[in-house]
Amino acid sequence: MQWSVIQWRSRSARWLTLGCLLIAGPVPGAGAARELDQGVPFPLLEGFENFGEKDGIPGHKVHSVLKTREGQLWIGTFDGLCVRQADGKFRRYGPEEGLSHKLVLCLAEDTNTGDLWIGTARGLNRFSGGKFTTYTQTDSGLPNNVVYGVDVVGETVWAATAAGAGALNLRTGAWKIYDQNNTLMHEPWCYAITKSPEFVYIGVWGGGILEHNPKTGSFKEYRDPDGDFQFVLAADAGPVGDITSWVYWEEGVLWQATYFGMSRYDGARWRTWVEGKSPLLSNFVNFVTAHHRVAWIGTDRGVSVTDATNWVNYAVSEKGEGTVEIHQPHQPVVRQRLATTLANGFVLGIWVDDQEVWFATSNGLTRGRYAPQDKAARVAEAQP
Amino acid sequence: MKSLRVLWLWLAPWVLAVASGYQDKPEPERGPGPDLPLPQSAEQYPYYGNTPEEMLPFRGVEPYHRFWLTRLPFRGPGRDYPDPPGLKSLKVGLLSPAAYGPEGARGARTRRGVLLAFEEENAQRQPGQLPFELVQRQDSPQWGSAANIVVEFKDNDVLGYLGTVDGDATHVALRVSLKIETYIINTSDPDPSLTETQIPWLTRIFPDDRQQGWRLAYLIIKQRGCKRVAILRESSRPGRMGVLHFANYIRRLGAPAVAHLLYAAGDHHLDSQLHAIQAADPDAVVFYGQPEDIGYAVATFRRAGLRAQFFGFDRLKEEGFVQAAGPAAEGTTITYFFDPDRPDKPWVEFVRRFVKRWGEKPDVYAAYGYDGAKLMMEAINHAGPNRFRVRDYLATLDEWDGVTGHMIFDARWDNIAPISTAEYKQGKWHFEPFPELKRPARPRGPTQASASGVSAR
Repeated sequence: MQWSVIQWRSRSARWLTLGCLLIAGPVPGAGAARELDQGVPFPLLEGFENFGEKDGIPGHKVHSVLKTREGQLWIGTFDGLCVRQADGKFRRYGPEEGLSHKLVLCLAEDTNTGDLWIGTARGLNRFSGGKFTTYTQTDSGLPNNVVYGVDVVGETVWAATAAGAGALNLRTGAWKIYDQNNTLMHEPWCYAITKSPEFVYIGVWGGGILEHNPKTGSFKEYRDPDGDFQFVLAADAGPVGDITSWVYWEEGVLWQATYFGMSRYDGARWRTWVEGKSPLLSNFVNFVTAHHRVAWIGTDRGVSVTDATNWVNYAVSEKGEGTVEIHQPHQPVVRQRLATTLANGFVLGIWVDDQEVWFATSNGLTRGRYAPQDKAARVAEAQP
Repeated sequence: MKSLRVLWLWLAPWVLAVASGYQDKPEPERGPGPDLPLPQSAEQYPYYGNTPEEMLPFRGVEPYHRFWLTRLPFRGPGRDYPDPPGLKSLKVGLLSPAAYGPEGARGARTRRGVLLAFEEENAQRQPGQLPFELVQRQDSPQWGSAANIVVEFKDNDVLGYLGTVDGDATHVALRVSLKIETYIINTSDPDPSLTETQIPWLTRIFPDDRQQGWRLAYLIIKQRGCKRVAILRESSRPGRMGVLHFANYIRRLGAPAVAHLLYAAGDHHLDSQLHAIQAADPDAVVFYGQPEDIGYAVATFRRAGLRAQFFGFDRLKEEGFVQAAGPAAEGTTITYFFDPDRPDKPWVEFVRRFVKRWGEKPDVYAAYGYDGAKLMMEAINHAGPNRFRVRDYLATLDEWDGVTGHMIFDARWDNIAPISTAEYKQGKWHFEPFPELKRPARPRGPTQASASGVSAR
């Protein structure tokens, strides 16, 4: 028996579930997620494919993953930068090829030029024309060598570092540093950068989220409203915590990842989720990205996917089996085993588009395969 | 008017019923000290630095969600990774403050304690056992410098590291630790926010300013009966973070600070601060900053005729305070971690060995440095050369005995062993008896502090 219905809230839900059981039958794994897709307004994954040392990935830990506009797949690992080649194997670039340090933490593509920007534990790198150009705190305006986050905003490359955010103007080559001296940051410990058409958002460790308007030069901060780290006084009142581990904006929605749960801000209203009081898999959130207003949340025990109403969790059980768990309003929570699973539940980075999803984990890289469906845009239509 | 009377008669029962719900509950019977147990589950760790309930924020309001009642596990892989090949030594990092910076002397004393521990351990290694090697790096007083040093530690394949005194540097180091998955034992940073980040890669054995803050608040308000407390603190991040919780605690005890003044480190022009504090007419002044600066301030304030009682944090125990304050130091009361003249054998023996090695008595920085180094090496001896198993050993400790005394670790891996106070009288610090923790130090039943379920119990 592959189905595990853990709540039977209503008669209709029971009939619906029993109906699904009859449709799904006893066949485990691939394809089963499709039958679970009763009303979930975003695509589900039905299987995973894992990549590791056998495929040329050095070491275990993959920190970040990025697919370029041309479809090239890059990963940042504990031991170098890798690109997936036509034969499916990964080619490694390390300090031997000019990378400033082997520990790669973050990646971004300049979609105007196709250049790749690589944040490492010792400097920022630009990969262009097959060559690396490095920027360190001693030979450029980079505020600190440890680069946790990078993004390209128009003609400016933003780097979130251990001592402030650095902005490199690609046209002039001039750097500007944003830290406790010229922004609202108490401490200049930056973790992530994201952008909207109007603003640059900086995820600040201990400082919540900083919203910067490049046109006016102004800053605004979003902070935990209760001012205390040890609790969330009230749900949905503001950022769930001030220790931002990642931040991502897409289609009018700002998502904040913290080690205290998740937050969502649509410009008018905050929503917050913590483990145990919501379907969020874990409070320890390493990463968040979004696609069509659906957030893909990398935690230390798997991936939560949500449109803020419906939740789908992909986790690895203690036995090492893949599980999917679906939470929908007024419906029983449904869990199911999957035939395949994430390389590891400790998820550090995610790349998602309409074709596939890639997961950077602490023990290898994973490709997620969508179940056939035709509702990628439904969330965007449904949400305000 | 009649209609108003009718309305009041109709509303009165409701108003009274609601008001009765907000009336103060009768005070619970108090024990001799401030260690009243919180009404929390026996499956949870002592909450919020063991702070008494009456000083907790939003007292009486149950928040939507509380953190720090259980320990955050590390769910990542690594415990089964093979040992690094070709090991010639077991490396441990030591991140010290810059020798020329404000914390340089404390860092030097920490280093002496650490070095003594390493020398003793290496002298006892058996044939076939790898020696320990200390990889030493000095921070610079510049934001983010510690991050680069921790990356160097990673490049050197350390199995764990120790450090440092500065709250900002340790914060920055901790962030990198999370990425490189290498455990820190902090032996000297009192910044309360350090462990608030929930990163399961750090144990702090040094009592923090949160614990000192509530102990000081209890002493000043509840025991000494002061009602008008002024604060003078250094204008810096350590100063801001140092008194942050204290200021909240006295407010929650019904005595918000009547003045909160700042000064620049080393600034001897304190006229404006003095006048503002005099105008506030305090019966207690709490100081936070470098001992020499506070000593100067204390002397200045007394000379100007301020009669309030003076209080401070542990650093005023350093000689620089009394030297700068002179006779004005008399009556100053501080929080402190243990009596340095206590007669128990582990401490006495440690002092003897330290004096023999370095020609001077150890202070708290040297002693906690020694304990931190011993604990790190114990973890590596137990777990082998694997950073993840070292983490599991350290992150699952509930209690540990060092030369500094018995340590009790809470859900944030802070040492919350009760601390006490010392008063400077007739040229000497007099220590109050050290209380005991009057609640279970560890949760009842199994607690999971690591994904592997490894427990050091």
